[in-house]
Amino acid sequence: MKNSIRQIWAVARVAARSNLAYLGEVASRTFFLAVILFIFLKLWQATYRESASAVIGGLSLNQMLWYLTVTEAIYMSAPRLAQQIDEDVRSGALAVRLLKPISYPLYCLSSALGERIVRFLANFATGAAVTFCLVGPFNCSPAAPIMLLVAVLLAFVLDGLGHLIIGLWAFWLEDTSGLLLIYTRLSMILGGMLIPMELFPDWLKSFVFFLPFPYLVWGPAHLFVHSDWLQFAQLVGLQSLYILLLLAVVNLIYGWALERISAHGG
Amino acid sequence: MWFSKILSYLRLARAYIKLNWSMQMEYRGAFVSQALAMFLNNGTWLAFWMLFFSRFPVVKGWEQSDVVTLWAISAAGFGLGNAFCWNLHNLAAMVSRGELDVWMLYPRALIPHLALGKMSATAIGDLAFGYFIYIVVVRPDLQHFLLFNLLVVAVALVFIGFNLWRGSLAFYFGQAEVLSEQWFFAMITFSTYPNCLFDGWMKVVLYTLIPAGFISGLPVEALRDFDFSAAAFTWLGALGVLASGAASFELGLRRYQSGNLLGMRS
Repeated sequence: MKNSIRQIWAVARVAARSNLAYLGEVASRTFFLAVILFIFLKLWQATYRESASAVIGGLSLNQMLWYLTVTEAIYMSAPRLAQQIDEDVRSGALAVRLLKPISYPLYCLSSALGERIVRFLANFATGAAVTFCLVGPFNCSPAAPIMLLVAVLLAFVLDGLGHLIIGLWAFWLEDTSGLLLIYTRLSMILGGMLIPMELFPDWLKSFVFFLPFPYLVWGPAHLFVHSDWLQFAQLVGLQSLYILLLLAVVNLIYGWALERISAHGG
Repeated sequence: MWFSKILSYLRLARAYIKLNWSMQMEYRGAFVSQALAMFLNNGTWLAFWMLFFSRFPVVKGWEQSDVVTLWAISAAGFGLGNAFCWNLHNLAAMVSRGELDVWMLYPRALIPHLALGKMSATAIGDLAFGYFIYIVVVRPDLQHFLLFNLLVVAVALVFIGFNLWRGSLAFYFGQAEVLSEQWFFAMITFSTYPNCLFDGWMKVVLYTLIPAGFISGLPVEALRDFDFSAAAFTWLGALGVLASGAASFELGLRRYQSGNLLGMRS
């Protein structure tokens, strides 16, 4: 266990450092984030005005924009994990990766984690600067940033496991991009990236909470605007539960996948 | 004289489309899956708007049917413009790498050869999506459907002209791939949100620098109110964007430097 944590840390650190080397490029891509936040401001400004209400779904306009800043920063930080696994399997690069003294899924997950943390921080910094200019500061509780960081980290692990499961299907499927698209779009809509779950119709809300998607995006963002230790404990508990569940699925699929590998000398 | 010239270019377009289509059909499975993926992607955004309008039925005078019309016209126009002229999407990269040489060897003008050189399966998915939701969700009468077709062609011309604009940046700035890409994202984003959200200086931007107003504004008005003047202004705008795109390309071409690359078109 201690050895695995050391391995995760080492791989994640290398991935994060290699992303930091291209911070200029990462920053240039956050322009899109600024555009989308501006559009969201206009959309929600009009919506609040027309509904003649200062609070919608328990959120003021200021909270709504900060909520969307977090959801966009999370969503746009996703690395190309499933595509990378797909390419490794298809190109045969997997044979080389298997020689490393770390299990392949753990290597992929750690690397994606390191990369994603840097991207998230860059996205969040840009998004926060834009949102600050658009709607002013957000008076969050002192515990909110800590809660956000823990919840986001667990969300990244959970999402990474989801990507791993999809990527590993490359052993059986011709192309996993369709599966990935379905997964990312489900997490976009059902995860509450574009519209908070409080505004979902009741029929949708009642079953979405049983899926892992809200805990990838909505959970951390909601916690940031409504910091509460009890909700934090609930979220972390549910995220951990889903992580254990998906870990078991990854292990199972990876075991089956290993049986299909046949490598020849090169 | 002019008529025979136009006919000659139409024959050229037909030949390219026929050739590119047969290339796509060689990988039929990949073609269908890419087109379906784009269909699904657009469907997610439509689901977001359905959710939004189920909660807030009217936003600044726009209703659900207006947003469906907006998505129909922008997806179909984007699809038509890019499905058959996909090469222009990567124009900035081609110019930066000095890859235009091979296209300069053909008789007739350079832009038609360059534009028609590549086909996109995902854009065909967009085209199909646009028509599908307009017919199935909006259920237009014959007059509206005919006007829709006219406007789809105009929107396609806006996208072709805009791609020439952003691709031509590389003639003037050298490395302009990131800038061109960001400009493209801004255009796509603004053209898929209701135009009524923006006013003042932003409205000016949306009819000049980011000509999304000719996609998300005038065509929707034209279809909603069956307004021929809005349709005429859409066409005028489209021809303006196309003409200025072609002019910026032709002017930039004088600064083009060959990459001395050896290449072969298959």
